[in-house]
Amino acid sequence: MALPGLSLPGLGLQSSHIASGSNVPNAAAQQTARQEDLAPRTEWRFEVNFQQQYTIRILSGNAELFGVELASNQPYNFSGIKGAIFTWQGCRLEISGEAESEYLGQETDYAVEWLNVHGMLETARDDAQSTPNGDGGPRVLVVGPDYVGKSSLIRSLTAWAVQSGWTPTIVNGDPREGLLAPPGSMSAVTVGSWLSVEDGYGISPISGPTVSPVKAPLVYHCPYTSPTEKPEIYKSLLTRTALSVTNKLEENALAKHSGLIIDTPGALNDPRSNYATVAHIVSEFSISLILTLGSERLSNDLIRRFSGTTAGADAIPVLRITKPAGAAEKDAQFMKQLQNQQIRQYFFGSSKDPLNPHSHTIAFADLNIWRANSRSLTQAMNSSATMDDSDDDYAPTSSMGSSQDFERVTPSQEMLGRLVAIKFCAGSETDEVAIRDSAVMGFAYVSEVDEGKKRVRFLSPHPQRWGDRAMVWGGWPEAVVDLVG
Amino acid sequence: MSARSPRGSLSGVSTEIAEDFSDSLKDLQGNNKFEIGNLTLIAKENTEHAQAISKVLEDHIRTTAPPRKLPALYVLDSIVKNVGTPYTVYLGRNLYQTFMDAYTLVDGNTRRNMEGMLKTWKEPVPGILDNTPVFPPDIVRPIENALIKFRTVMVQNNRGVQAQQPTYRNTPTPPQHNGRYAAPPSQGQGQPYYGQVRSFSEQGESPDRWADQSHQPSAYQQRTFSPAPQYQQPLGFPAQNQQPVNDLETIKRDVAAVAAQRQAQFAANPYDAKTRQELDALLQLQRLLDTQVLDAGALQQVQNQISALAVAPPPPQPTPQPAPAQHQWQPPPSIPQLPPQFSAPPVAYSQPPSAPPQQPSAHFLDPAALSGLQALLANGQKPSTPQMRAAAPALQNASHSQLSNVQTQTSTQPTINGADLIASLTKNGLLPPLPTSNTTPLPTTTTAPPPTQQQSTADILASLTKSNLFGPAPTPPGVPTPANTARPRVPMTAASLKTFRPELLHALYTSQPNQCSTCGRRFPASEVGRAAKARHLDWHFRTNQRMADSSIARGAHRHWFGNELEWIKLVEFDPSTTSAEDAAAAEARHGASGAGGGAGGKGGKKEMRAEERYVRAPPGVTRNVCSIDFEEMKSTYSEELQDWVFTNAVVMGGKIVHASCAEEMLKGSQKGAMASALQGGLGGQQRQRSATPDSALGKRKAEGALAGAGASRARME
Ligand SMILES: [Zn+2]
Ligand SMILES: [Zn+2]
Repeated sequence: MALPGLSLPGLGLQSSHIASGSNVPNAAAQQTARQEDLAPRTEWRFEVNFQQQYTIRILSGNAELFGVELASNQPYNFSGIKGAIFTWQGCRLEISGEAESEYLGQETDYAVEWLNVHGMLETARDDAQSTPNGDGGPRVLVVGPDYVGKSSLIRSLTAWAVQSGWTPTIVNGDPREGLLAPPGSMSAVTVGSWLSVEDGYGISPISGPTVSPVKAPLVYHCPYTSPTEKPEIYKSLLTRTALSVTNKLEENALAKHSGLIIDTPGALNDPRSNYATVAHIVSEFSISLILTLGSERLSNDLIRRFSGTTAGADAIPVLRITKPAGAAEKDAQFMKQLQNQQIRQYFFGSSKDPLNPHSHTIAFADLNIWRANSRSLTQAMNSSATMDDSDDDYAPTSSMGSSQDFERVTPSQEMLGRLVAIKFCAGSETDEVAIRDSAVMGFAYVSEVDEGKKRVRFLSPHPQRWGDRAMVWGGWPEAVVDLVG
Repeated sequence: MSARSPRGSLSGVSTEIAEDFSDSLKDLQGNNKFEIGNLTLIAKENTEHAQAISKVLEDHIRTTAPPRKLPALYVLDSIVKNVGTPYTVYLGRNLYQTFMDAYTLVDGNTRRNMEGMLKTWKEPVPGILDNTPVFPPDIVRPIENALIKFRTVMVQNNRGVQAQQPTYRNTPTPPQHNGRYAAPPSQGQGQPYYGQVRSFSEQGESPDRWADQSHQPSAYQQRTFSPAPQYQQPLGFPAQNQQPVNDLETIKRDVAAVAAQRQAQFAANPYDAKTRQELDALLQLQRLLDTQVLDAGALQQVQNQISALAVAPPPPQPTPQPAPAQHQWQPPPSIPQLPPQFSAPPVAYSQPPSAPPQQPSAHFLDPAALSGLQALLANGQKPSTPQMRAAAPALQNASHSQLSNVQTQTSTQPTINGADLIASLTKNGLLPPLPTSNTTPLPTTTTAPPPTQQQSTADILASLTKSNLFGPAPTPPGVPTPANTARPRVPMTAASLKTFRPELLHALYTSQPNQCSTCGRRFPASEVGRAAKARHLDWHFRTNQRMADSSIARGAHRHWFGNELEWIKLVEFDPSTTSAEDAAAAEARHGASGAGGGAGGKGGKKEMRAEERYVRAPPGVTRNVCSIDFEEMKSTYSEELQDWVFTNAVVMGGKIVHASCAEEMLKGSQKGAMASALQGGLGGQQRQRSATPDSALGKRKAEGALAGAGASRARME
């Protein structure tokens, strides 16, 4: 069942790709290991692209990456990452391999602030534990423009909480970057085991052993590049997520006391909508603390809106957190590679936890496929229809001939290379709201659409077929031509 | 059934041959190539009795004193390489146990020799065209894996010990366990044994050749009977170990070192209840030492007890030995030997004084001394009166004739069990008569482990507590929960953001000094923290072991995500530190509604059907023979538990058996017969206290994390 003769676009390139050695870092560079002594409360910043291999080892002292402490004398390998090894007590590092940039950062006041935020959350958790029938632990919303370190802050807060014995729940509201799921997801996870230095939150459940314990997310489908594409759908997905998360926290005292932290895309920083989506999250998740990063205006606006005198009894603290000096913009190419990597790893796993995807060929008649219409989908369709049209301005949706958000479609070549969400709801479902809100069981990759024989070949993570379930695809993530490369 | 009793299965001829072989084995004191060659010849000429010979050899390796284990293992090595089948089959069956039991009891140099030998077992026999290895990989690999883990645990624990001793922190080459980093002894050649095997097989079977190439006895003495400092260093004892020690830090270190050893032993043999019990007691003792102030006398007493528990070469043998070089060896002071494991033949308990001997031995004869004595007698050669007196100070005033009688009565037996020894000591007026079973008070708590011949640390601790050296041991807390003590309160205000609060770091770093060297995770220095770390390391080990198994990794696939209800009901826990039982309890607590999602709906409290029961497979154990129907059981991977398990299994008397068989046995009409047959094969410990099979099944509860009562967490399938 494992991929017999699967003609995945680009799959054939795998071996030659590896053989060509284009991913193998410069051997000479790798051999010259160098040492760096870091004073207390400084950090080693590095940007490593997806073709590079960068290795860091702690020779003495202690250090952490996004709040996750490194073990002494263990080599940690990085690729496709922009990060900083921070030390509270000072340390000596051994570094080898290649990076686009690497330097010692001494401006690290942000770290003290982040640790204090952790202290605030700990205080709130302790209080929650001593008042069993109270509102539970801290419920934190993190907002700010893109690339200001929101995810890094959240990962640090999560790692510290777990190290202190809590099981915080993390919600990722940014569909561009998945959390334990491919892009195009809105997911939530209660973190009950340690994070990994190299892999962050790690891996969702698989059938075999894993280097670090698996973490099981709840996944919804958000096939849009930004909340602004479909603000109302985005909000309804948030509502649905909030419902599940709230229920979960009520089920489990430790999770309730540990609280939750919500990551958001930069697009929520939207004064024109009067921060409507921010307000929606605050109310749906009963947010008790807002952290803003990277924008003074955003901070002032939110203080006025949620913390000022007009907020009255519902006032919640809004704190402006210093963005790390090392926070680096991720350009479009980096983001694209990151997304492709996430999709690839969903099916094939990582080098440490390799997985076997499976191929399923299913007749049109046995499929119930919905298309989530959106601006990004229209753009994608238009650009593929008129390849030489370099004008990528906003295009009206008329060419799709539909104003429906979700539309039942017959499989077509347009799906090729796309990720299709397999929903828990039945294929016979006719209610658009049910299609929209149903959680995701998994994603399948469309590797071939045979319109003559009327069948679709999917790449699926699981050997079992998914039976009669609704499948949904949309404009995001973009088609992946070379899933393996 | 009879096949499982130590001697029952051997036919008359086999018994004779085996006894000859056994006698020769007992004469084997060192790495003597002539004797090893001779034993190999006996084995070769009697392949029809291979089973009996293999059994004798295994028994000898298990019961002989640690310094004699390596020569005995060399016999095994020589036989499998020079004779091959059927010995490879018979010896291969228990090779894991044979090897690991010995490994845990010998010193660092011997371990290295054993490791070298193990390596050669993966290779084809030199000089033979056939390319098949000496032992098949599925026999050798579990041992290799166990060794990796053993070392990990040793190094880990050593680090944990060091972490609490800042003086060691910046030492470039800190003291290590196993003498791994200790300076090698002053021997010219670390010539591995297989070098001689090669030449032996090339030369045909000329024993002379062996003699020609044999190691000088002195080289062997230096290498294996390493002098005291080499052994002390691995234990983390400082150089002043030669003097009597009653300094608190030293004692703490010693306790930690012994605990580390027990941890490693436990890791290698997780179903050994005695090791577990000792380990628990040691951890408790550690905490007591951390929290209570003891006077010098009490400390000395603790030190003595701990020394008695340390795994070390055998007790002093002051008299000149037949082997000329023997006198060169000087055992480390005050570290008597941990006796070899033995299983008492059932017959011992049919005799009138069938009561557990723990009370008299505790008061009259020091248990460690008893064990030492036992080992001395088990050595095969008759120990002298001074030797026996030295091994057991309680016998200081015993007359020569009394001791001589004891020695004669016991040393004629192939293996000596504690009951026989006690009986003999009693008979000769060296021990007061044992109370009969009618008058023996039963243990007060039902959860108390079955009494053992050797007094465990738990007993020691209990007696220490009874004699008011310590206050009552505090109840260990259950599942670790976040400690909200002494954490600074940080209000949610902008003003609190800028001040650096090292106290917050204290909670993350300093208060959790024990770091996992694999993943960097930290654990508190408390008993709970140490236990959690031990489980955590075990998890890493098992995970790595499974990941190394390419057949598992190759077939892995991602699961479907869970639906909303499953996700809501799912209780997240750290599988590396939380036992299945804790998780089940947590689920019972939190998911009380019982609605459950998916396959995980079954409640933790409900009695499980036999097929649903499982036992986590001990590391390296992929197969097991059910002691009831003698059918093979194979481990399978449980996605739910992220671990290898034997399904339809329970632990009974320390062995894994089919749950259905156990159930059947309890229901069956021949209940008594089956039960006693089973228990006879499993060792008499249970029998002593209660002959009802229920107590064996009840053990399942006490097995805790090992015998899962079913972590019926919602499954994301
Ligand atoms: Zn670890
Ligand atoms: Zn059975």
